[in-house]
Amino acid sequence: MLKKFDKKDEESGGGSNPFQHLEKSAVLQEARVFNETPINPRKCAHILTKILYLINQGEHLGVMEATESFFAMTKLFQSNDCIYIVYTFYSLTKDMTGKDDNYRGPAVRALCKITDVLLADVLLRPFQPASHALSSLQTTMLQSIERYMKQAIVDKVPSVSSSALVSSLHLLKTSFDIVKRWVNEAQEAASSDNIMVQYHALGLLYHIRKNDRLAVNKMLNKFTRHGLKSPFAYCMMIRVASKLLEEEAGGFAELLDIGLVWFVLQLFCSSPKAALRYAAVRTLNKVAMKHPSAVTACNLDLENLVTDSNRSIATLAITTLLKTGSESSIDR
Amino acid sequence: MEALILEPSLYTVKAILILDNDGDRLFAKYYDDTYPTVKEQKAFEKNIFSKTHRTDSEIALLEGLTVVYKSSIDLYFYVIGSSYENELMLMAVLNCLFDSLSQMLRKNVEKRGLLENMEGLFLAVDEIVDGGVILESDPQQVLHRVAVRVNEIFCMPP
Repeated sequence: MLKKFDKKDEESGGGSNPFQHLEKSAVLQEARVFNETPINPRKCAHILTKILYLINQGEHLGVMEATESFFAMTKLFQSNDCIYIVYTFYSLTKDMTGKDDNYRGPAVRALCKITDVLLADVLLRPFQPASHALSSLQTTMLQSIERYMKQAIVDKVPSVSSSALVSSLHLLKTSFDIVKRWVNEAQEAASSDNIMVQYHALGLLYHIRKNDRLAVNKMLNKFTRHGLKSPFAYCMMIRVASKLLEEEAGGFAELLDIGLVWFVLQLFCSSPKAALRYAAVRTLNKVAMKHPSAVTACNLDLENLVTDSNRSIATLAITTLLKTGSESSIDR
Repeated sequence: MEALILEPSLYTVKAILILDNDGDRLFAKYYDDTYPTVKEQKAFEKNIFSKTHRTDSEIALLEGLTVVYKSSIDLYFYVIGSSYENELMLMAVLNCLFDSLSQMLRKNVEKRGLLENMEGLFLAVDEIVDGGVILESDPQQVLHRVAVRVNEIFCMPP
């Protein structure tokens, strides 16, 4: 492995990569400086970056290696405590509720990652007597997490609120019943002025309620009446609405007559931006699967895209035309 | 019959990749199980690179996925989502990542500069996407949140 890197280094000349010669065992060895006092923040941060780089390259850390490095890292919280997980937990809750706003969002996210593991653990073996002490500890931690999360969701700082909402969404998978108790807080966040907070709050609300059609309908009604600030949230709500329409009316063919939709699609077709042309032709392609006749209005635009320099766009245009085209378009 | 619409979800991004001009991985984060092993991931990266590195277009449909990308000097940036995903949302992520990095590096976005600022890159990606959900799309916000942390780590007296 190392040899291969060496060779490449010679070939590429000056383009040196400071991480190129990293070896896992050496980096983990270096990580022992985490135990030294006083801590050298610069050096430690650099070693952390190296570990992240290795993991990112697909390097696998064994259970022992990972555990050892984790415990070494927790020392960076300057702890003398012996129960590291609990300590890490409390350091994070301290960061999460601390004065420094810039630490709070990331602390919420890290805390929820740990919580997720804990919860999965509780759910997997709730009745094992051997883990009794641990589970009572977990229950206590969960209760305080719940309190912190509810506060964080309605926090005035957008990065904190967004982090808490998205983390709640991740937690839904392992602990739906706990997260659904946070609906009121999410509801409050949904009327936030911040576009990302609004998007995340609506998303979380939908994920919690998606099996309750009545609740989804109510949510849609409310936001179509009051409007939304966030384009991402609009995108999400349009999807929710079209899903409801498809389920209820068995399709949304009647919507295809709306002239504005075609106008926008035609506009996109001639956009200098490839992403917009792609979006338009992909939409037309999807519609043509079900309603080829509705797409014929855009045939001319599609024909122009057949020679597009972007191959994906050209291919999509051709397959769409095959569904909608007539003999008269062959010559062109 | 294929579904016409995507199940509404906040999970938008399947992967973020940064490759160098040999197609080797500088950064990769996969947010779901589409490519579960490192081997499959690297094969995907190779395929993506071979199909995109000579074109200057910004979007492609590859392996049934929507790939939006952009290159800079000796780097290739990719954001990957489902083929049903809104392309403009994926573009928003790509632009946010690229703009955050170009302001963070304060010069051209290239391999050497990026390697010298890996911690900034890791932090920035964590601010932009969390587990596949777009967390922030405004580069100024990302920069602000990352810069404060990097400064505090690296400018503390030893």
